[in-house]
Amino acid sequence: MSDRHKLNVIGTPAAKVDGLTKSTGQEIYADDIDLPKMLFGKMLGAIVPHARIVSIDTSKAAALPGVKAIITGDDMPRKYGILPVSEDEYPLETDRVRFVGDPVAAVAAVDEATAEEAVRLIEVEYEELPTAFDIDEGLAPVAEEARIHDYGPRDNVHKLVNLHFGDVEGAIERADTVHEGVYFYSGNNHLAMEEHSAVAQYGADGRLTVWSSTQTPHYVHKAMAKVLDMPASRIRIVATPNGGGFGGKSDPFPHEFCAAKLSMESGRPVKITLTREEVFYMHRGRHPVLMWLRTGHDDQGHITALDFKSFVDGGSYGSYGVASTYYTGALQTVTYKIPNYRFRGVRVFTNKPACGPKRGHGTPQPRYALEIHLDKVAEKLGLDPVRMRRSMLVDEYTMTANHMRVTSCGLDECLAKIAEAADFERVRGTLPYGKGIGVAVGSYLSGAGLPIYWNKMPHTSVDLKVDRGGGVCAKCMEIDIGQGSNSVLAMTVAEVLGLTPDDVQLVVSDTDTTPIDLGSYSSRVTFMMGNAAKEAAEKIRDMLVAAVAEKLGLNATELVLRHRRVEHHGTGEGMRFAEAVPIAEAMFGQLSSTGSYTPPRLAGPYKGSGVGPSPAYSYSAAAVLVDVDPETGIVTPERVWMAHDVGRAVNPMLVEGQVEGSVYMALGEILMEEQVFRNGLHKIPSMLEYKSPTFLEMPPVETFIVESIDGEGPFGAKEVGQGPLLPMPPAVANAVYDAVGVRIDELPITPEKVMAALADKEKGGPGRFGPGGVPEVDFGEVLAVDPVWYDQPPEDWIPTVRRGEES
Amino acid sequence: MRVHLASSLQDALAFKATEPDAWPIAGGTDAMVHWPGAHEMHERTWLDLSHLNELRTVEFRDDFVELGALATYWDVIRDARFTALPLLPQAAATVGAVQIQTRGTWAGNIANASPAADGVPALMAYDAEVVLGSRDGGERVVALADFYHGYKQLEARPEELITAVRVPLRAHDHQDFIKVGSRAAQAITKVGLAYAHSSEGWRIVANSMAPTVCRCAAVETLVAAGTAVAGPDDLADAIAEDLTPIDDIRSTGAYRLRVFGRVLYHALQPICDSFS
Ligand SMILES: Cc1cc2nc3c(=O)[nH]c(=O)nc-3n(C[C@H](O)[C@H](O)[C@H](O)COP(=O)(O)OP(=O)(O)OC[C@H]3O[C@@H](n4cnc5c(N)ncnc54)[C@H](O)[C@@H]3O)c2cc1C
Repeated sequence: MSDRHKLNVIGTPAAKVDGLTKSTGQEIYADDIDLPKMLFGKMLGAIVPHARIVSIDTSKAAALPGVKAIITGDDMPRKYGILPVSEDEYPLETDRVRFVGDPVAAVAAVDEATAEEAVRLIEVEYEELPTAFDIDEGLAPVAEEARIHDYGPRDNVHKLVNLHFGDVEGAIERADTVHEGVYFYSGNNHLAMEEHSAVAQYGADGRLTVWSSTQTPHYVHKAMAKVLDMPASRIRIVATPNGGGFGGKSDPFPHEFCAAKLSMESGRPVKITLTREEVFYMHRGRHPVLMWLRTGHDDQGHITALDFKSFVDGGSYGSYGVASTYYTGALQTVTYKIPNYRFRGVRVFTNKPACGPKRGHGTPQPRYALEIHLDKVAEKLGLDPVRMRRSMLVDEYTMTANHMRVTSCGLDECLAKIAEAADFERVRGTLPYGKGIGVAVGSYLSGAGLPIYWNKMPHTSVDLKVDRGGGVCAKCMEIDIGQGSNSVLAMTVAEVLGLTPDDVQLVVSDTDTTPIDLGSYSSRVTFMMGNAAKEAAEKIRDMLVAAVAEKLGLNATELVLRHRRVEHHGTGEGMRFAEAVPIAEAMFGQLSSTGSYTPPRLAGPYKGSGVGPSPAYSYSAAAVLVDVDPETGIVTPERVWMAHDVGRAVNPMLVEGQVEGSVYMALGEILMEEQVFRNGLHKIPSMLEYKSPTFLEMPPVETFIVESIDGEGPFGAKEVGQGPLLPMPPAVANAVYDAVGVRIDELPITPEKVMAALADKEKGGPGRFGPGGVPEVDFGEVLAVDPVWYDQPPEDWIPTVRRGEES
Repeated sequence: MRVHLASSLQDALAFKATEPDAWPIAGGTDAMVHWPGAHEMHERTWLDLSHLNELRTVEFRDDFVELGALATYWDVIRDARFTALPLLPQAAATVGAVQIQTRGTWAGNIANASPAADGVPALMAYDAEVVLGSRDGGERVVALADFYHGYKQLEARPEELITAVRVPLRAHDHQDFIKVGSRAAQAITKVGLAYAHSSEGWRIVANSMAPTVCRCAAVETLVAAGTAVAGPDDLADAIAEDLTPIDDIRSTGAYRLRVFGRVLYHALQPICDSFS
């Protein structure tokens, strides 16, 4: 790479552009908004898990002084839902409640205490219905009128998937060895520090503005227009900086609609901030998933076939559930060569808070099962688990059996890095009883290849506007949820224009003033918005270069933008950026540009192939050293080595931050976090008893950044926000086995389970804690699809730029 | 909701005599946990003791230490004299985290009567006594080990307040406090053990293992008698006699029994000849 193309901003560790604002407490989150005459809203949640609403009497609440508006389901009788295939929610339910906490009415009052009191005065009469609380109950036959929803293939079954690529049975028959296992991954909440909050203001001009802590302002905008039956052009959604999202703020939520409607009714601004308890009810967190898998292997341990079933406990609404279900079967194939693959999945409705996307969306569960399974296979075949994995990794720029396009892949390097750092081959097997080491890998999307609703428009756009004074303003609907997308936007523009990130002003996440970005989900922002920002900045760059070249009589192709100058790459002849701007504006008019990004067409030739494809996959590998106290069963992760293929680290400091955050969040899921219900009632809807790790539980994490320079990512970048979570749960489970010889095939790995498994082992049992089997389910008609062989990639999509080269 | 801000201990006792249903508040770290979720609490009358500096005392006398009713965990942690009673700072350091340790009181821990309380077992292992005061009845001293009659049932009359806790100053040759929780801080005990040995004999106390924090009489007898113990299983019968742990949101009865036996065995094995 010549010096001329040296990157000055990208790749340099830098503080977040909004870091100071946040760390000094100046950031304005949704709940900080305080408008004149603002009212406070409160929703009333159902107290029964499944019932018909017989009547709602709001008269006592209406009589309470200070109450300004009361609404029930009849005030907003239009359904919404994040996926067009499962629009099954009302902001306030009209005739039926499906979980304890399901909102049925809302009040706006002069203060929060009055609103709370008013809500308690609302009388609701319920007629209870039969309930389903887990996967088995969700699969059971049920009378038509007792179904949780009136759609879905049967009973409380929401979705069935039955996909077959190649010939799994034949390959299993021909395999040298066949292995089978059953696993359970429990459900847990995102536990973002900031509870959801929305402020709505309906003006005298008939325009509605909603400030909300949402990851997806565009989808809230669409849903708001539908539910309120208002033209979208009269609604403005402003996503406020999220105090953490992790997928938990990706749906449109009842409180957003209620704040809006209450503002329309009262003529005053209305704020609704959820309590922590309500956050547990609104949920949309990790789906509990029961899994069965069977693999065939040749004598080298290579996988010849994978047969996978997942049983997904969806909770009470569709949410992202159809996608989540497909995701439990989509990405098994992008890490190892799997020539024959079958995936059968079922999602059931249950009378619990609805599940949805949480960091890794539907993929940590199967990854957990697969990576523990492979650890067991390696042991049975007497193979080193790292070597076995490395011998069957997918090749770069190939297709998988289920038609996923793999571009850059640094997984081999990731495995090599962590094995070396942890001294894995030497350490494994030599640790004393109670100490263990485990490894696992994972992979995740750099953005979903398809939008949530079918359209051919860009997924993201960035507008740039250059001020005559040399100031640059970048506008995009992207929303920073703590992952650093604001920094990525500023850094990308700064890189191309030869500026520093803090030279770039940002206007973000506002449906009125910024161009489209679909939202902060599926790890799409760096990859997609980054490409759009780059394109927009390159257009401005070209104008500046042309203007300066003409003015100074230089060759435009020899000019570069760097160090706040437009100059000749060799002699340095040129001028300051701020001087170049007016010259360019005189030549071209207002210096503005737009860049957009639409992913290439990636869906395969079958129904359901829209979930899983991504323009690029990130890869990670983790090694974990644990201590397991055989007296108490307490598992203490002592060290973590994580290598992550991020394509290119736009900001290495943020990459490390995302890796460490993923490790931390994973440890919660691994060791303690779990939603527990009794007859539909959440037993621990508070941070007092819903335990998550404190910093005392956080082990040292050594992060290795692997840069595979993806051909299509901006500067080669891929995702890092979600992927590094994936290898952690199985790596810890494998380490626990290495430490004390018991298999915990069910998350979380609590001391109680470890002790039960140890007791079982003492008595001569297998020393395993986990599910015993899976239910018999008719997955419906099989969709047989010809696999794409990994060694026959179609030529047309192979990017011209390969690893190590620059775009 | 009514709050009476007591101006002196005398005033507090007088108020409690006329309004025995009033709820004392010391550090508030137990009382406030259920606020505002529990709506019946909104209607209560509260007796706020937090301004009574006369109760915020730690006094070392000849043969005992007196902790005033407002003495906090932090008061003990930072006071070097408690090296004489190491279980107290040890237990104090496991309570919640620093914020709770600086507000939470020993008396509040006793009166709250949680089976999982961490201050109580340390105190009980040292034969602490609870000093109760009332306007008309004067002062009454009750052994902490006799203070609980059942789950949240206290040997204290409605008109009484805890005014102090007394801990005898004795020489102990063996003592330890062990807390098994679900994480390193901010965790309620799942299995707890405090033990101490002095010229008065063995005190073996369990928390989170029964409806109240309690001494383990059968285990104490077995240890004092020098009955041979070859492993945790040999303690199982005595433990079963003393303790009846339950399944709850934090753990299971089976886990608690198994782990308590192991923790106890490994604690005593190095110091008791009868443990092999
Ligand atoms: C986040 C958190 C973590 C915690 N962790 C732990 C832990 O690890 N271990 C543990 O043991 N506890 C823990 N607690 C509970 C609590 O902090 C302790 O029990 C503490 O000792 C209570 O003292 P207080 O002064 O705050 O009591 P308060 O809340 O003021 O009172 C508690 C009870 O005692 C009564 N009371 C108080 N003073 C008197 C008096 N003088 N006479 C009569 N009755 C009185 C009150 O009416 C009330 O019923 C935790 C609490 C929180 C919020």
